[in-house]
Amino acid sequence: MNNNACCAHKDPHKKEPEGVSRRDFLGLAGIGVAIAASFTAIAGIFRMTKATVHYEESRKFKIGMPAEFPVGTIKKLDDKKVFVFADTEGLYAISCICTHLGCIVSPTEWGFQCPCHGSKYNKDGKVIGGPAPRPLPWLEVSLHEDGNLVVDAAKEVKKGTKFTV
Amino acid sequence: MHRRFYLKLLLVSSIALLAFALLAAYKEINPEWKHYQNNYKELFMKNAKDEAMKEKAKAFKVEVQQLYIEKLNRADRCVSCHIGVENPMMAKAEAPYKKHSGDYLGKHPLSRFGCTACHQGQGRATNKEEAHALEHDTHWEYPIVPLKHIQSSCAQCHDYAMLEKNGADKVVRGRKLFLEKGCLGCHKVDGAGGILGKALDGIGTQPRAYFPMRYIQGERTQSAWHKEHFLDPRAIVPESEMKASINDEEADFLATYILALKSTEMPREYRRIRQTETPDMSGEALYKKYCIGCHTTGRESYFDEIFNRTIPSIMNPALLKSADNQYLKKIVSEGREGTQMTSWKPTAAGLTEQEIDMIVEYISKDRPAAKPEPFDVAKFRADVKRGGELFNIRCALCHGKKGEGELGINLKNPVVQSADPEFLAVTVRDGRAGTPMPPFGKDGVGLKEQEIADIVSYVKTLSQKKL
Repeated sequence: MNNNACCAHKDPHKKEPEGVSRRDFLGLAGIGVAIAASFTAIAGIFRMTKATVHYEESRKFKIGMPAEFPVGTIKKLDDKKVFVFADTEGLYAISCICTHLGCIVSPTEWGFQCPCHGSKYNKDGKVIGGPAPRPLPWLEVSLHEDGNLVVDAAKEVKKGTKFTV
Repeated sequence: MHRRFYLKLLLVSSIALLAFALLAAYKEINPEWKHYQNNYKELFMKNAKDEAMKEKAKAFKVEVQQLYIEKLNRADRCVSCHIGVENPMMAKAEAPYKKHSGDYLGKHPLSRFGCTACHQGQGRATNKEEAHALEHDTHWEYPIVPLKHIQSSCAQCHDYAMLEKNGADKVVRGRKLFLEKGCLGCHKVDGAGGILGKALDGIGTQPRAYFPMRYIQGERTQSAWHKEHFLDPRAIVPESEMKASINDEEADFLATYILALKSTEMPREYRRIRQTETPDMSGEALYKKYCIGCHTTGRESYFDEIFNRTIPSIMNPALLKSADNQYLKKIVSEGREGTQMTSWKPTAAGLTEQEIDMIVEYISKDRPAAKPEPFDVAKFRADVKRGGELFNIRCALCHGKKGEGELGINLKNPVVQSADPEFLAVTVRDGRAGTPMPPFGKDGVGLKEQEIADIVSYVKTLSQKKL
């Protein structure tokens, strides 16, 4: 065979005492690199399964300058489904999505009332009646670089956490 | 047998695959925006004045930033690189870290408008080349709008009265030029305008591929195309018949206005068209809109090299003396078939009867009080054959052997053919002062009245002759 001509002086059946033969090296290298390449390719494919960003509106939104929220403010942001309150201790935001089946609760004298199945919450969002399994979550309030207040509906904070400028 | 060959093939192809995979991995790990965001974070730390802001800078997470605006169906990742647009501490930074200029974001919050609603470009791209898409070979259809034309986007939601008051002078001046340079004489917009050029509705949202870019010198974008085309239409489209005599600055303004003629509308809740302007219906404004492009001042006739014919002076007192408003209205309504003069009636170029009346009134405002001396063509018994001989000697030189027109007007067109013979006879006898048409009667060439009547009778037969 022509392609073996270069190695003709060696006995193919005799074991090489030192290192590997050129053909073995070629084979090993070929298969090795092929495996490495496959692994990187597969790693790339797995990278694809996790989206960097989603086609959905950001749950973090600006609600305005702190001056727009003097002490005593109760503001319902309809499109964002959040109540914003301001009292002497600071600002806080409470979600207005009922933890039972997701209806929008409305504020009352004593707290919040869900119109769907009658869940009742006190002013801190604690369940005081009805089928709601959990209290209304308090949401993170922070300050944007440009001075606006920001509510992050994706970040729950401990009940009673109030933000002061 | 060929084992060695296949092993080599495996090795080489695997190395190639590995190289590509590693390159892709490198690009994934080191995207362009990451570099900008790292720099931004550093800059933010440096510029932060108090502890709270320093904390904020420290907490800044380097990741793809996106503004998803469902109502506009836009996902703008521009802020992945232009990361400081809302940060007042970046007022003095360089692009792309710089804060957005002016107070535009105050009234147009990013969360509601995103970026591409005004700036266009490829919002989904995460690198500069494809996001700005200025290079022709990126093949994206909507490149970013250069800042000098950005006011074209304001007109999507704001009316021109508001824009004028609030300093959007470029698009306002572009519109003024558009309405006063006679663009509508050849181009339709909203169903009214000439038919020689393309209708311009939605031209501002035409994709890049729509424009022949072969002879464009600068960037191969729509805005650059419009500007260069305004400055020299035939340099860009060799077969174009477009007239444009404007300077560099005006070309910029006009291009801005043209880009504002979009086919897509912003959602109702975004639009702020408060005053609906009553269009200027004066004869002068209408003349500027529809007529001035060809007839210029209307006072002088001139030979147009591109149209290869003489454009008559329609406000010439000699014409007005013999042509009454009814005749003028007929010309404007029906146009002149066989020439570039469009028919302007409601079913053709889309002007209303009232608008045509206003234009005719404007054209005829300087009509001399004196009526021409009557010719009384009816009393002559005309000889068509003799008229034909005389026509060939006297008229064919300018009006063409068969009356098709060249230096003189086309006599075969229906308006001339249906004109009152008395009017034609008076015109031949007295000529048309201010145009190359000389008087052929006793005050000029010296034809006898009988001869003029013969010519008129021959002219009336021209429509039956084939070219």
